[in-house]
Amino acid sequence: MQRPLAIKVSGLKKQFDGIPVLKGVDFELAPGEVHAVVGQNGAGKSTLMKIINGLYQPDEGEIELFDEPVRLASPRDARAAGIAMVYQDLSLVDSMSVAENMFMANWTESSFGLLDQRAMNQQAQALLEKMGIADEISPEQPVASLSMGQQQFLEIAKAISQNARILILDEPTASLCDQEITRLFEVIERLKAQGVAIIYITHYLRDIFKVCDSASVLRDGRCVRRSLISQTKIETMLADMLGRHADSSINWQRPTVTPNAQPLLELRQVSTSDLAAVSMQVYPGQVVGLAGLLGSGRTEILNAIFGLDTIRSGDILVNGHAVKIRSPRDAIQQGINLVPEDRREQGLVLDFSISDNMLMSSLRKLASPILLDEHRGQAIVIDLIQRLQIKTSGPQQAVRYLSGGNQQKVVIGKCIGTAARILLLDDPTFGIDLAAKYDIMRIVNDYAAAGNAVIFVSSEYSEIASFCDTTYIVNKGRITRQMQRHEQSEEQLLAAVQ
Amino acid sequence: MEIVVNAPAQAPKKKRAVSWNTLLIYIVFAVIFLFFSITLHDKGFLQTANLMNIARQTAMISIMAVGMTFVLSAAEIDLSFCAIVALSAVTVALLLPYGIFIAVSASLLVGALCGLINGLFVSKVGIPSFLVTLGMTGIITGITRWITGLQTIPIDNETFTFIFGSGDFGPVSVLFVWMIAIAILGHVLLRKTRFGKEVLASGGNKISAMYSGIQVGRIKLYVLVFNALLAALAGILYAGRLQSARYTLGENDLMMVIAAVIIGGTSLFGGKGTVAGTMVGALIMGMVNNGLVLMGLNIDQQLIFRGVIIIFSVTLTMGHLRKKA
Repeated sequence: MQRPLAIKVSGLKKQFDGIPVLKGVDFELAPGEVHAVVGQNGAGKSTLMKIINGLYQPDEGEIELFDEPVRLASPRDARAAGIAMVYQDLSLVDSMSVAENMFMANWTESSFGLLDQRAMNQQAQALLEKMGIADEISPEQPVASLSMGQQQFLEIAKAISQNARILILDEPTASLCDQEITRLFEVIERLKAQGVAIIYITHYLRDIFKVCDSASVLRDGRCVRRSLISQTKIETMLADMLGRHADSSINWQRPTVTPNAQPLLELRQVSTSDLAAVSMQVYPGQVVGLAGLLGSGRTEILNAIFGLDTIRSGDILVNGHAVKIRSPRDAIQQGINLVPEDRREQGLVLDFSISDNMLMSSLRKLASPILLDEHRGQAIVIDLIQRLQIKTSGPQQAVRYLSGGNQQKVVIGKCIGTAARILLLDDPTFGIDLAAKYDIMRIVNDYAAAGNAVIFVSSEYSEIASFCDTTYIVNKGRITRQMQRHEQSEEQLLAAVQ
Repeated sequence: MEIVVNAPAQAPKKKRAVSWNTLLIYIVFAVIFLFFSITLHDKGFLQTANLMNIARQTAMISIMAVGMTFVLSAAEIDLSFCAIVALSAVTVALLLPYGIFIAVSASLLVGALCGLINGLFVSKVGIPSFLVTLGMTGIITGITRWITGLQTIPIDNETFTFIFGSGDFGPVSVLFVWMIAIAILGHVLLRKTRFGKEVLASGGNKISAMYSGIQVGRIKLYVLVFNALLAALAGILYAGRLQSARYTLGENDLMMVIAAVIIGGTSLFGGKGTVAGTMVGALIMGMVNNGLVLMGLNIDQQLIFRGVIIIFSVTLTMGHLRKKA
């Protein structure tokens, strides 16, 4: 007989308020297998994971763990059955030590009922060694001193410490740098060798080909393909996700910039506490890329332009005139707006409606002179929702319940709703599904083509390579190089930022 | 247009929860009203004179609660307003010999000044409003006790007492008129103006608000000044109604005002608030006060019962907060 499957799900159905989200999903996973689950936002990935994790109950269908049918009534049940989920936003207590975090759910107590610190540290050490990360993380270290990647490892260690046999990783590489990703993959290989079954959820399809054995593609609540990675190509996977043939190399077309035009935005030797003598020009109709590693200063350049960081020396010129920008309010009045890095924390008020969020930057314009002009506000919002193709039940829906891509569109709507002529975008497609990504690129493309100026920061070099007219390479707060469109391939950009 | 992919899975559920919460305030209101109507029927709870009495007793609470709605919506708190009530009442009483206009303006000015100090420490120095206003409570109360020498200051200016609390237009108390006027002002300010939207945005997510060009610090300052101004007005109305002023005025109002605002659906954590809800919350408080007095309870018993009813009502209406925690 075959080895039992770690998990076998069959005919899983789930609906919310009469709307089917899962329409009969089959899914299986063997011990020691790393299985990718991919699909666009709304395909049913997170609902499926929440059912496996005991958070939701299925309407129909069976779950078997190691050939035993189970009913998982709560995440606690799932834990007891050996299922652990490592969430995208980590759930660690910063001020406590690595060992304390690891055993948060099951403290080791001495015979007096006190915590046995030494035993916990020893167990933690053993576990870290088992994962092969003992040389960089020590049990006594406070979590606040760990890098994002190390925190991710700790989350995994925490799950393993509770004897997890099935591990769900949700976008594990999203906040990691390349080096950390390599280390993560090593850890995954080790766990695999120890027989842990891993479900790997991600939008980064390339990662799947490096670390996964097999993949399931979900689309519209169904598993449309299950295949071995060795027999799959990225194009087929994209096509399965989108349900049509993926257009992987879009050639973004914009009218070329007239050579002797005046730059709409110019930085002359701008220095802040993080930047040293940054100079750049952005012409009307141009999309300028900023490429650099995390922490290179690319976000800080945007912050300086938007009045978030104090400028120590140098000038910012808008339309040829030097301007003083001391706050985001000054920047917005100069026709500059920023789509910030963290849409949920910096861009939106999650409990506000789409309408309130979109008008948040335009209130001054709508005050006439004391009462807000609600009709004009609604007209602006409805126009933006249509132009940006935001999928919503209406302008009064709270943005908390929109998908990531639609939330980002609301932020962009808020920014261009102020009639800004210069748009700064800080990694606008981060963690967003492919269709929404394409929509956002199209919106920005149209915006630039209409004669506005765009500065575009992205951590995906392929995006910059195909999208930007020219790219500045940022390293340690300086511009180290400027690349023109024809020289900026993904590989060249990758090499240039190191 | 394309069909919504994943939003409906959660959105309709939430929508229902919100309207259920809003509905709950009215249910609580109705339950307490019915309870008193039945148990206190023979003591005249439902008589017009008593209902007008409730309105009169609610007026001051609701005026203070309108200010507090703004403060909580901006994710701040003001504990010092009770002290401002007493200081402004005493100020107006002491200055009445110099004329109504001077006395009232000076009293409002003193209130606004207290709010300005609160606001400057919160917005410029960055001290949490909880601490600043806690400290200011001590300072203001001390000043009030000091300038009055713990004496009650009588007021015999009839024009003043008519306009600010004791007067009636037929069956309608002038306090009722003040209450409605402030409620309308508060409602329009919060819902229909840039200021109101900026208050809610600053409270909902101050970083996003700042990135959207809103001057969050200034908004917090304005909100604390506005609240202090309304507290001063409440103090003036207390003085007019009681025809005297004393340093103890307002000292029992802290619990009731904050409870009225929270029962009315304003979030303790900012970003969410309505003046209409606050008015219902204040009315519940006024009704409870009145009912407890009619029941013949003494002050100690009233305090205990009021506490119980507040916790009960807040528990019922704060479902959204429990889920968050």
